[in-house]
Amino acid sequence: MKQDLIYFLPELIVSITVLFLFLLDCFIGKRSRRIFPVIAFIGIAAMMLANKSSSPLPSARFFSDMMVFDHVSVLFKYIFGLAGLIAIVIANGSHELEKVDKANYFTLLTALVLGMMLLANAHHFLMIYLSLEMVSLLSYILTGSLQGSRRSSEASLKYVIYGGVASGIMAYGISILYGLTGSMTLTGVAEFLRMNAVSKTALYTSVLMIMAGFGFKVASVPFHMWCPDVYEGAPTPFTAFLSVGPKAAGFAVLLRFFFGALSQTTTSGIEPIKIIGLPALLGGLSIATMTLGNLAALQQKSMKRLLAYSSIAHAGYMLLALVALNAEAVTGVIFYLSVYLLMNLGAFLVLIIVGDQLGSEDISVFQGLSKRGPFAALLSIVMTVFMFSLTGIPPMAGFIGKFYLFGSVIKSGHYTLAVIGMLNSVVSLYYYIRVVKIMYFDEPVDGRNLTTPMVSHASTVFALALLTIYLGLFWNGLANIVGQAKLF
Amino acid sequence: MNSYIPLLLLFLFGMILAGAFLALSHLLGPRRKSKDKNASYECGLEPSGNPHDRFSVKFYLVAMLFILFDVEVVFLYPWAVQFKEAIQSGMGSFFFSEMILFMVILFVGLLYVYGRKAIEWE
Amino acid sequence: MAEKLFSLIYLVPLLPLLGAFVNGAYAFSGAKLVRPFVHTIALAAIFIPFLITVGAFLHVTSLPEESRQVVVTFFPWLDVGSFKANVEFLIDPLSLTLMLVITGIGSLIHLYSVGYMSHEPSYARYFTYLNLFCFAMLILVMGSNVPMMFIGWEGVGLCSYLLIGFWFTDSAKAAAGMKAFVVNRVGDFAFIVGFLLLYWTLQSKGHATVQFVELRNAVTHLDGVMLGSFSLVTIVCVLMFIGATGKSAQIPLYVWLPDAMAGPTPVSALIHAATMVTAGVYMIGRMSYLFSMSPAALNIIATVGFVTALFAAIIGFTQNDIKKVLAYSTVSQLGYMFGAMGVAAYTAGVFHLLTHAFFKACLFLGSGSVIHAMSGEQDIQKMGALRKHLPITHATFFLSTLAIAGIFPFSGFFSKDEILWHAFNHSKLLWLIGVTAAAGTAVYMLRMVTLTFYGESRVSEEAMHHLHESPLSMTIPLMVLAFLAVFGGFLGVPESLGHFFGLHESNLLEHWLEPSLVFPKEALPMASHATEYFLMVFSLGIAISGCLIGFVLYTKRKDIPESLAQKYPKVYEFIYNKYYVDEFYKAVFVNNLLRLNDFLALFDQKVIDGIVNGTAYVTKIVAYVSGWVDRTFVDGLVNLTASVTSFGGIIARRFQTGRIQTYLYLALGAILVIVFYRFG
Repeated sequence: MKQDLIYFLPELIVSITVLFLFLLDCFIGKRSRRIFPVIAFIGIAAMMLANKSSSPLPSARFFSDMMVFDHVSVLFKYIFGLAGLIAIVIANGSHELEKVDKANYFTLLTALVLGMMLLANAHHFLMIYLSLEMVSLLSYILTGSLQGSRRSSEASLKYVIYGGVASGIMAYGISILYGLTGSMTLTGVAEFLRMNAVSKTALYTSVLMIMAGFGFKVASVPFHMWCPDVYEGAPTPFTAFLSVGPKAAGFAVLLRFFFGALSQTTTSGIEPIKIIGLPALLGGLSIATMTLGNLAALQQKSMKRLLAYSSIAHAGYMLLALVALNAEAVTGVIFYLSVYLLMNLGAFLVLIIVGDQLGSEDISVFQGLSKRGPFAALLSIVMTVFMFSLTGIPPMAGFIGKFYLFGSVIKSGHYTLAVIGMLNSVVSLYYYIRVVKIMYFDEPVDGRNLTTPMVSHASTVFALALLTIYLGLFWNGLANIVGQAKLF
Repeated sequence: MNSYIPLLLLFLFGMILAGAFLALSHLLGPRRKSKDKNASYECGLEPSGNPHDRFSVKFYLVAMLFILFDVEVVFLYPWAVQFKEAIQSGMGSFFFSEMILFMVILFVGLLYVYGRKAIEWE
Repeated sequence: MAEKLFSLIYLVPLLPLLGAFVNGAYAFSGAKLVRPFVHTIALAAIFIPFLITVGAFLHVTSLPEESRQVVVTFFPWLDVGSFKANVEFLIDPLSLTLMLVITGIGSLIHLYSVGYMSHEPSYARYFTYLNLFCFAMLILVMGSNVPMMFIGWEGVGLCSYLLIGFWFTDSAKAAAGMKAFVVNRVGDFAFIVGFLLLYWTLQSKGHATVQFVELRNAVTHLDGVMLGSFSLVTIVCVLMFIGATGKSAQIPLYVWLPDAMAGPTPVSALIHAATMVTAGVYMIGRMSYLFSMSPAALNIIATVGFVTALFAAIIGFTQNDIKKVLAYSTVSQLGYMFGAMGVAAYTAGVFHLLTHAFFKACLFLGSGSVIHAMSGEQDIQKMGALRKHLPITHATFFLSTLAIAGIFPFSGFFSKDEILWHAFNHSKLLWLIGVTAAAGTAVYMLRMVTLTFYGESRVSEEAMHHLHESPLSMTIPLMVLAFLAVFGGFLGVPESLGHFFGLHESNLLEHWLEPSLVFPKEALPMASHATEYFLMVFSLGIAISGCLIGFVLYTKRKDIPESLAQKYPKVYEFIYNKYYVDEFYKAVFVNNLLRLNDFLALFDQKVIDGIVNGTAYVTKIVAYVSGWVDRTFVDGLVNLTASVTSFGGIIARRFQTGRIQTYLYLALGAILVIVFYRFG
């Protein structure tokens, strides 16, 4: 048993941090609230160090097959940790969160990171369900953390209801799958399906229902409808995290499910269980997700909703990897998630900086941003970098991510899907570049100049932009690290 | 498949029975309305307060906390059952420390609740 | 330790570039000027490379002689067919010597600039250019292939332009910068033609390469190749030498150097005394294997060199601007260096480069100190008896003057003497010209020193008020350089003298540089040791008497030069106006070029524009038609696609009703639809 704890060390560190923060909350007065983000930051940073030191360990399943440790889980923990760290920096000092109880916010955020880590490493269906619920519940609370804001509470309520239904459907699906295969673990299901034939209808339906739960987390069609409302209603620092963290966790568990439970690794690569036509289903879902996300974003006037739809579209691109079902696809998804983390958080951070000072989150705040003073000019350059990266224009990191992703799809032979993906990229160009255009070519609505925000915000946003460009030019390092990813 | 037939029959039978009770009482019962009969029932007492009044949230809080700690106690039962065997097979201290850890985590939660004055009634 | 420093060799050009970038961004940003920030960055950017160079030097000295040519590759760059050039550095004795000069004297001059430019508002821009120049010059000497050297070559030309025209608001100064750049370009053009000729011929012989290390062997295949009625190697060497005359201010392309004194004095010290002007000498040394193959080219170089030395020395007699005297003195000394290269005394040439760097930089900085003390006055006729007021400046200036005059045992004596000795072996006529120029050097330099520091004071009243010795930041470099000017000569004590002191192989510099240089196959017979001693004593005597004459002529017997000027006014005017060379160039080249310019402009206006307008009209009609097609069909199609997509967007938006019930129904409905579609 003791050896199992070594695998669990990063999660343990975060758990202790969360508990410590809870206790601290009771005994610290109102004035020292500032210590909470610091402790949360240290905790997550310590987790990442522990993660690094545990990365050479061999793959294993621990806690009696409840959880799994492999290189992919190490990578995902890095992603979650980084997302958490940046989210803490963003939230600290955000104007919107001024009235929110800081202790609550950061404690729950750290716990959310813990939940995501558990979700990415879960092997047993119960564990998957449990951690999914943990992530969801904490997200519900944090979405509604702007007390007194009707939109925030409404978003939270919608999230709760939708999430509840989705979890219920997923639980039902899990139970059907258990009934069919007699096993509650991913590898157990895979083994059973390899040996025996089961009712196609039942298997398909159960997979579809389980997809409801995962698809809900990842905001893919047709389980995406909560996304724009929730993203718009939640406080923007949390929306930023929501668009990256839980989505990444959702993809982690999707990867585990489709590569672990529903595929078999043969000598010629990974093959899905042929009988039920999963690629078609997933392909259809991903096309629908991409297309809907991109089309709906075209007409948006609220920047937050635009970014919400854009994140739906990006989830669509990443779903393609599940269709491709090869080792490059895993690499592609993880690589894409890493760069997506950077550029999406960056875009949100710019929105927060601008929105905090100009008081609105419409696209109109970006009008003439480049003319609002020296810092605003720099910020518009940074935003341009992020927008170009999200579209997938070289030499930004987003291009490399899309390249790997589409590359894996082409390698597996699904050329139509790749073409549709690229066409969608073209459509997305419009709404991303529209932001750039109004930043540079329109006049600001009023004459206010932007003042420099907090050092932490400014330096983070520049660091993210520089990283985006750097990874767009020198992506080999990251590609090598991610390329070693092997599931189980 | 065959073993599920009785279950289905039971289900149907229950539904039919309940439905029959309702339908029969509606069809066959006398229709004499009176003011008292139409009044709302509140355990024999006079109804107090507006039915549309909202409940104070403290009831909800207490109920929720009760559920949490009740489930914790529920988890104690199977543990207790296995504990004697575990001592005999030499894993006693491990079992014990695991349960203590579980309870400590929940105790921290209790401290938090206490510190945040959630269990104060007024 | 030395080896570790050697591995950092890529920092040597990189740090000045970074320093230039940082200071440049700072200057450009228009932020408030914080002088300590600027000069700390600039000083670090040149001093740290100096330390690294010293470390590299120590490391290389520890290597055995055969392996003292190290190529350090930075990253691959051009690879087109047989033209392979990487960004890599050739670290060998020759490049290390120059690197030490550039970084070492560069550091001193940066330090000096801190004091000299302390009141300059464009402080950051100055240091940016200075760092940038050091970067370019280092690339020039460190480059291991011709393209890299050429990049440095052009780079120093550019920086020289930027720095000469630093105070560009004064149109005369801006024009001086322009003149330097344009004249340099003429030389560069010849250089490129020469190099391309070399490369193509090598390619046709199957030995194409641009790396210096490989060229050494490759050029041997060009022996005997003719182009027309001339040897190809000779033509290439002459062309490249023309490039050198442009960069190093020899006849006929020297005219920019005197005008370049319009720049700040530290710039003159660095660029026009110690580094850029020596690029030509370096180039010949680097390609010594090529030049050694062509005695004809060497002869031309030697002749041009020595003649220039005498030519410029004569002009130096009549100049009254303290910096102009030094400028012509530079041209003259450069002439010596080329003279040395021309008689295949490559080490002597580099030796004189080294000693000249020491004493000329000291002289220029000293003159800057004088100008600074005199509140900007540069006319030596308005100075005099400054020795009391500027003791350190005077002492260092005087010592460097003795060095340049060639007084034993200062550095100039050893280097100049070696050149004259080799010249004597080659051609008595050249030797005679060289000795005459040496005499002239002694006289006019002492003239300058005397008029500036000795005699009666002719300083104006108001200048007297501000007369003070310069701050430490300016005097320390002076002292260091004077020290080097005095003792630097012992690096190259000739064999014949070293014998006296029982020193075997006393010519340290010659020994050090030997692996880098290739000498001509037919070595000339050297005259005997006795002749050598005689020549040494003879030139020493000339130098001493020249100094005395110079001193006396302008203190006790001032009447002599005045009466000479009156008796031969035309001669005096001729020399004073620099032989009217500038005017000649203007009349012949510049004016005709401008006339051609006007003609071409007219031609363009009338003829060409007429044709263009006619075709324009026809094109307009065609454009109108195609525009209509484009607007209607092509744009229509594009717009149609866009509206369809955006319509899709509107439809997609409609699904989002905001009602949670709709969301849930749609989700469940989708699941059912999919299942039934698949299995129904």
